Amino acid sequence: MSAGLHYVVIGAGSAGHGAVTTLRARDPAARITLVTMSRLPFYNRFDLPRYFRGTTDWRNLLAVAPQIYDELAITLRRNSRVDEIDGRARTLTFSHKEVVGYDKLLVCTGGGGHLPEVLVEYKSLMHGFATFEDATRVARALPAKGRVILLGGDMIGLDLARTLIDTGHRVTLVAGEFTFWPHRIDAAKRAELLAALSRAGVDVVTGRTPVAIEAAAKPARRVIFEDDSAIAGDVVMPFFGSMPLVDFMLGAGVDMERGILVDPRLKSSNESIWAAGDVCQIWSDELKEYRFLHGWKNVRLMGELAARNMTGAAEEFDVTADFAIGIDASGHVQSDFWEQ
Amino acid sequence: MNEPLKPVYLDEKLVEIRADGHQDYRSKALPTWCPGCGYFSMAEGFTQSLKRLGREPEDVVVVSGIGCASRFPFFINAYGFHTLHGRTLPVATGVKQANDALTVVAVGGDGDAFAIGGGHIPHAARRNVDITYMVFDNGIYGLTKGQTSPTSVLGFTTPTTPYANGDEPLNPLMMLLAAKASWVGQAYAGNPHHLTDMMAEAIAHRGFSYLHILSPCVTFDKTTRTYKNLGMMVRDLPADHDRRNLMAAMAEATKVDRPALGVFYEEERPTLADVMDGIAERARKGIAAE
Amino acid sequence: MTGTDVQFAICGSAGDGTIAAGDILKRTMAAMGYKVIAFDIYPAEIRGFGKCISRVRVSIEQAYSLKRRSDVFLSLNDAHAIPHVGEVRDFGAVVYDDAPIATIPEGAHISAHIRPAQLPYGASFRQISDKVTGNARARNLVALGYLAGLYGMPRDAFHKTIGRKFATKAASVTQVNVRAFDAGYDAGASVFKLDDVVMAPPPVGADGSRAQMMTGNGATVRGLLDADIDCFFGYPITPATSIMERLATDLPKRGGRMLQTEDEISAIAATIGAGYAGARAATATSGPGLALMTEMMGLGVIAEVPSVTIVSQRGGPSTGLPTKTEQSDLNLAVYGGSGDAQRIVLAPTNVEGCYRCAGIAFELAEKFQTPVIVLIDLYLSNRYETVIPPEVKPFAPKAIPDAAGRSSGPFKRFAFTDDGLSPRAIPGQNGGVHTITGLEHNELGRPADQADNHQRMSRKRHDKLLAATRHPGLTVAKRFGRTGKVDVGILGWGSTFGEILEAMYAAEREGISCSAMKVVMLSPLPVHLIEPFFDDCRIVLVPELNHEGQLAHLVSGTLGRPVVRLDRVTGAPMEVDTILAEIRRLALGPAAGNAA
Repeated sequence: MSAGLHYVVIGAGSAGHGAVTTLRARDPAARITLVTMSRLPFYNRFDLPRYFRGTTDWRNLLAVAPQIYDELAITLRRNSRVDEIDGRARTLTFSHKEVVGYDKLLVCTGGGGHLPEVLVEYKSLMHGFATFEDATRVARALPAKGRVILLGGDMIGLDLARTLIDTGHRVTLVAGEFTFWPHRIDAAKRAELLAALSRAGVDVVTGRTPVAIEAAAKPARRVIFEDDSAIAGDVVMPFFGSMPLVDFMLGAGVDMERGILVDPRLKSSNESIWAAGDVCQIWSDELKEYRFLHGWKNVRLMGELAARNMTGAAEEFDVTADFAIGIDASGHVQSDFWEQ
Repeated sequence: MNEPLKPVYLDEKLVEIRADGHQDYRSKALPTWCPGCGYFSMAEGFTQSLKRLGREPEDVVVVSGIGCASRFPFFINAYGFHTLHGRTLPVATGVKQANDALTVVAVGGDGDAFAIGGGHIPHAARRNVDITYMVFDNGIYGLTKGQTSPTSVLGFTTPTTPYANGDEPLNPLMMLLAAKASWVGQAYAGNPHHLTDMMAEAIAHRGFSYLHILSPCVTFDKTTRTYKNLGMMVRDLPADHDRRNLMAAMAEATKVDRPALGVFYEEERPTLADVMDGIAERARKGIAAE
Repeated sequence: MTGTDVQFAICGSAGDGTIAAGDILKRTMAAMGYKVIAFDIYPAEIRGFGKCISRVRVSIEQAYSLKRRSDVFLSLNDAHAIPHVGEVRDFGAVVYDDAPIATIPEGAHISAHIRPAQLPYGASFRQISDKVTGNARARNLVALGYLAGLYGMPRDAFHKTIGRKFATKAASVTQVNVRAFDAGYDAGASVFKLDDVVMAPPPVGADGSRAQMMTGNGATVRGLLDADIDCFFGYPITPATSIMERLATDLPKRGGRMLQTEDEISAIAATIGAGYAGARAATATSGPGLALMTEMMGLGVIAEVPSVTIVSQRGGPSTGLPTKTEQSDLNLAVYGGSGDAQRIVLAPTNVEGCYRCAGIAFELAEKFQTPVIVLIDLYLSNRYETVIPPEVKPFAPKAIPDAAGRSSGPFKRFAFTDDGLSPRAIPGQNGGVHTITGLEHNELGRPADQADNHQRMSRKRHDKLLAATRHPGLTVAKRFGRTGKVDVGILGWGSTFGEILEAMYAAEREGISCSAMKVVMLSPLPVHLIEPFFDDCRIVLVPELNHEGQLAHLVSGTLGRPVVRLDRVTGAPMEVDTILAEIRRLALGPAAGNAA
């Protein structure tokens, strides 16, 4: 491989981490920079529920020892937000005004939690669940046997629900169209799955749309519905699926729709920019559409494949395979989304 | 001063001392200087001037360096500090800083003063330390048996200048005037009465007084600075010499072929002790310099 | 070390208020009752905006040295800080400004250099300062506030220190700085803390109200002043200059005199002159100055004149490394000069020791009528420690000799006596008139070169000093750690003894049988204390910051016992790990024990 190429990977989730290790394996001489807004080294987001099982020191959550970046000679830029990308000059500018050049860029910034318009003004009364810090805040706000109200209930939220119930907490699911996101399922299946959740101990609320959230004494939160009815809980958490985090890409000269549009080899419309994970929409020749592919495993595989393609391979990502959701032998909801 | 004066001998001086009652200022030690040395008249002049000024022996400190002249304190009945070669002035400065009430007299030869010790002279002078510096200048290193000194004349032949001295001699009076000594005078060992007067005046001066004393080395210089030669060279300062006029003093100091005797320059200005007292006062009042 | 033990490092340029921020931090911590040890590094060059680093170690138990790895690092200037960010330990914090004024090239921001296991914290100190004070000048206070907020330190304690620091300025200056501090504090307090640094409060009852932060040089000055110094003479030389500067301010306030002389020779000459005249006089210098002073030291020895010389060592020989620390002037201090010229040399090992040694030096100089050298080094000169000054000055007042009323006859200034100490008189005293000289002399002080006289006088000058090793109120050598027989003994002197203690205690925790001894009086050597230490140790290690093993030679030469040398001349203090590794290597480990 050509010496001295500078690969920059933005986003240090499982896609980004998989990408840089693959890049290093395939191009020992290259310069590799991994950029993340996180202040922590890489941990898997799907490990966050472990916090409620007692893993409260982030060091025990790390997927790899931090020193691995030194060993692999990968520059890890944490606490660093990219403000803009110049796709022509091949530079990126951090919010701290540092300008960094790249030869090949991989964007795998993932998605941020989507929030219905009506709930945006109540954001400060809700708890997110994207980072270690989020998990800590939830845990601090949640008393023993406390109640968590999940709004929406995408697959990330439902994963957390499993853990919360296991650890003696109570969970109310306010179900709606985003429940089981990103799975696309019909009403019958939905009903079947919700029933399974009820059996597993989740208090399922259906047919009611939350319109407001209030702070209260004890428990600390009330969720108000359209019909002025309300339920109470200690913590309210929105899980309405995710939207690609691509604001900084607006000016980069890359085709975008909701996410970055890439070909099956995960390359964007810019010769030097690739994308992987929840941030990209991949062209499917078969379906004649750009589509998102979610799930922990997909994200990791995308990162690795993009890295191989950036270093000379020409592999295509299989966009046709949908992942399934169902009920396993013991009656619990089971999803390929959760496959690691 | 047309007559070359004869050397002064110890036995004669002892008789004189006894007669005049100056023993108080002479120590019990017998000088180690060569018979006929000009330094005897300096010891004599010094004791006479102390007597004249009424300074008690215990209030006087004589500080010297190394060399024939620097043996001086041993022969004086006063507190004495025979220090290191060239370091007379800083030691004397320290003594005076410790106790303003002391009469501090620094003594040395021309090598001690202007060769190894030359760096200290301007600083003691400009600070106007209230001490008297008497340099006994015989233009040679006598203690080490006759090498050239910074005031040796051009062409002087010595063991270290077997092919004749080629170094221009220093002009001590010009140097001290330039360094802002507040009293500068010159005397001659062959003119002991004038020498005594000059010593008394130098010691009485408030501030840094410099007395240059021309002297022969009867043992190692038989050719240049003999009593005969010096006696023919020296002259009095002009009667109308203005001792407050620095330029006039310098003009006289340049006439090295006819060295003048007398007070070249004098001024009154704050001494180091005055400056220190001023600093202490400002410090106590908390006034910092801007 | 149990409880809090956190080392902060603040790095920036001189114009960033780096040292000022460190100063407020250490003074606040000391006032709260923590133990603090701190070291500031200033620009080596004469530029106004060179690199500064202020390192402050805050602990509950007394620390003996700075740590090699800082726990928290604050950058006020990335260009200066980047080379040092590696000193932060794993899971420690790196705090920096994340809003530079203009775009900067890749690598110019510190976030590019933070190691993967260090925790980054960015905040816009400049902008916050601008917002709350109208300009960016108070960004150091904002950043300091951020640290205080991040670690939950009490706001009020900082406010008090800031108020004191700007007490002489207009009240608005304090207000502006407090405002900046508070804005930073709020920012820091709202941050999600991810590092594992813990600032537990000082133990209940810890009283910092009388604690002061002092440097070695500052404590030296305090010691000289508390011993009622009369005169000081000095010539500027790094790293001793600040002693002279401080005395220039403080000495005249009590009627004392400070004179800046034309060179070091004049400084010691005047000191000896003043000492002869009965003053408590001192000078201060570094190695090159001491080299110039050695001829005068010899005069002080033979003429038996009291003087005190503070020597802060730096890298040598010659001009050497003027801004780096070293312990390579032991030979010069102990032996320097012509002839047999034994003098008293004291080498304190910490800041409080500087105070004690500087103060008691006059007492020793007067009693033993000899030059006394207090030998410190740049690291000790400039490092800060919490010191609680004694309420009563612990030093004996000046011993004024009195020749009055003595019988007639010449004053025998150098009379032979049982203890070698002759009667002394000073100018101005009736009945004591005498002349002293650098020539060998008889009892009267008159030149005398007879064989038996020189023999007797040399013995007098040597033997009279031996009693100094048992002088009351002075620690001349002290053993630390385990008593009785041990495997490895560590003998040290000067500033390095802090690192030695840390290493010795670490080795002890590892199960190594060890003990340490500091030697404070290097001349005359307190053999009566050192010899039993050698008897108790299977092997003795001597770590010191010079290349020739100067203490090792002194001790092994005097005692005729072997030592193991550990010499380092990197310009930096010796690392605890270096000493610890050597102790481990020398120790009879469990494996060796089993094999035997």
